Amino acid sequence: MPSVAELIKALPEVEAMEREEKFTVPSPLEQMSLRPIPVGRWRRLGMLGTLQAKIAAAYLFYWLRSWFSHATESERNLAETHWRTALRMLDSMSYLRGAAMKVGQMMANFPDVAPREFVDTLDRLHFDAPPMHWSLLREMVHNELGSDVEQLFASFDHDAFAAASLGQVHRATLTSGEDVAVKIQYPGVGRAINDDLRNLMLFLLPSRLTRDWEYVKAQFEDIRSRLEMECDYQQEAANQIHIRNLYRESDGVVVPRVIPRVSTSRVLTMEYIGGVHLDRYLQGNPSQQQRNVVAERLVRAWYRMIYAGRTLYIDFHPGNVLFLDDGRIGLLDFGMMIPLDAKLWHLMEVMDKPLTTGRREDRDAANRLWCELSDQEYIGERKAIMDRFADWSWRPRYCGGEFDFGDEADFREGVDLFAQMVKRRYSRAQPCTPLIARQQFGWRSILYRLKAKLDIRPIAEEEVAITGWDRSYT
Amino acid sequence: MRVTAETKAATRRSLLVASRKLFRQQGFEQTTTRDIARAADVAHGTLFNYFADKEAVLSAVVSDAVSAALAKFQESPPAKCSLEESLFSLVALQLRQLKTMRKLLPALVESLLSPLAGKSDEAAMSVRLSLLDAATQLAIRHGYGELSSMALQLLWTLFTGILIFWANDTSPKQEDTLALIDHSLAMFVGWLDDARNTSTGSKKKQRRR
Ligand SMILES: Nc1ncnc2c1ncn2[C@@H]1O[C@H](COP(=O)(O)OP(=O)(O)O)[C@@H](O)[C@H]1O
Repeated sequence: MPSVAELIKALPEVEAMEREEKFTVPSPLEQMSLRPIPVGRWRRLGMLGTLQAKIAAAYLFYWLRSWFSHATESERNLAETHWRTALRMLDSMSYLRGAAMKVGQMMANFPDVAPREFVDTLDRLHFDAPPMHWSLLREMVHNELGSDVEQLFASFDHDAFAAASLGQVHRATLTSGEDVAVKIQYPGVGRAINDDLRNLMLFLLPSRLTRDWEYVKAQFEDIRSRLEMECDYQQEAANQIHIRNLYRESDGVVVPRVIPRVSTSRVLTMEYIGGVHLDRYLQGNPSQQQRNVVAERLVRAWYRMIYAGRTLYIDFHPGNVLFLDDGRIGLLDFGMMIPLDAKLWHLMEVMDKPLTTGRREDRDAANRLWCELSDQEYIGERKAIMDRFADWSWRPRYCGGEFDFGDEADFREGVDLFAQMVKRRYSRAQPCTPLIARQQFGWRSILYRLKAKLDIRPIAEEEVAITGWDRSYT
Repeated sequence: MRVTAETKAATRRSLLVASRKLFRQQGFEQTTTRDIARAADVAHGTLFNYFADKEAVLSAVVSDAVSAALAKFQESPPAKCSLEESLFSLVALQLRQLKTMRKLLPALVESLLSPLAGKSDEAAMSVRLSLLDAATQLAIRHGYGELSSMALQLLWTLFTGILIFWANDTSPKQEDTLALIDHSLAMFVGWLDDARNTSTGSKKKQRRR
């Protein structure tokens, strides 16, 4: 696998990019004719976006190349030329900072697929300088909430303490004295990204390659629809309230309380959680016992969302988990939740059997249903790999007893299987099947990094009980 | 009857109040000077003692709002921040003050406020001068010195562009306009920085990477 530095070097020079100015004009400006003004100097946004976009684009490039591995050489060369140009555009599009960050977060989920340095870089980028200055921020708050910051909050930090994928997060205090985190979206960023992606797709049309094209298109659509979901903080707030109500104090899981009075679709105000991210937490050398406790809480939190909340928490990645001093865990970011509709709920019920028994025939039944949902046949090589992935995913639960989630060989097996599924397009952006695989992978990778040793079976048994399913096989 | 300065000012004010209301309710195009005079309870001919035509009325309405916004800005200018941020506050405050007449602005920008305006009137001139003067003061305070005529022209073009964009902005709560102000001012200050660097001789072209 090439290093990130090599990938970045493979990208074209900046000078070449500047000649393609027409692509650097963000959509608002296109609508009006301010032609005499030099474009291509979206200085502040440009600079902020560049590094992240470049790294993400470079990585994307690598990934795409592997997707095209079945094409003939000349097809591949042609496709690469198009992709290079496209990525140059991507790199120059100011708004894609957010999208780049999303790609980064997705990658951070796969510590062993993505090179270590890449994940580290992204972790650091997460805390980069904020792109919105105070005057803009004040205006955004006034625009959204109808009053000035000073009237709405007792205090409000002018500098962001964290970057969000589409905006930034500030600390503030309410007039009641409560500490809050205020997540504010850069104005219009969601629609702008959408436009950017649409342009990118149009530009890519000539590179259409038979079946890969459909797949790439589906991937883009997937990213687009996910971003759309992420843009609406009102929806996120509603999800967050729903999830928060699932936990009791004894669960040791904190979901920040939403403050609706000062929240809109662009501003999300919530209780501030004073915790640290996974890397910082691990730097404090927590004991095995402490790590097991937080891991148990994570697993419980996750099952609770599925079985009691009937939702999938897709974004189970390290950036969304905070570790508090007292051993509790904080969960953030409910922008991307998939409600389990009747079809998916039924799939969950069918899956419960192999998860409990570990029997091959039960696994087959569940996998067959899973394939049916995305119009795929459960035969041949697909069957073999899916079976192995399912077995890997479900093993810790059906085996029972203490499972070593930090076992490198075991984790690597999962990574390899997942990579094979991606490569063979078994995890297509069809309904929700890849998402199920993705979140499955998300919590496993956190547990891996925690090096947790845990028996998750009793936790599962407690949490599944609420479903009322007929579980005579237990 | 002797018309004192006081009654004169009062008449002018009621003409402006009436037009603001009519413009907002029925639009600039649909409103006639006759409508305005009637609503202000003033003889039609009298209106022309105060304003040359309908454009001049609009321009006075806007000019009043701009002065009010400027007064507010001078009252509590943003402290401890960059030129770009200060300019942003200045422009944002103008927009807040002009909010109710957002849709009327293109009519004015295309005539009296146009960067290429041949014809202008006193009110429009004062809008332009007072805003550019405020911007110049900010530039001086931030160590950029006097703004060149090119810089002023650029800033005015950006400002009027923002107004037109805003008038037609269909995004939720016109949030795209905020992004446009941000982009425009980032570009403007970037341009000033470049110009300054070139003139002071440190002209190493900055490369991204
Ligand atoms: N309630 C909160 N308390 C403490 N930190 C928070 C809170 N909400 C967000 N953050 C910080 O902001 C970062 C980004 O927030 P998140 O909701 O994940 O944004 P995104 O919109 O990118 O998903 C988090 O990783 C965390 O560091």
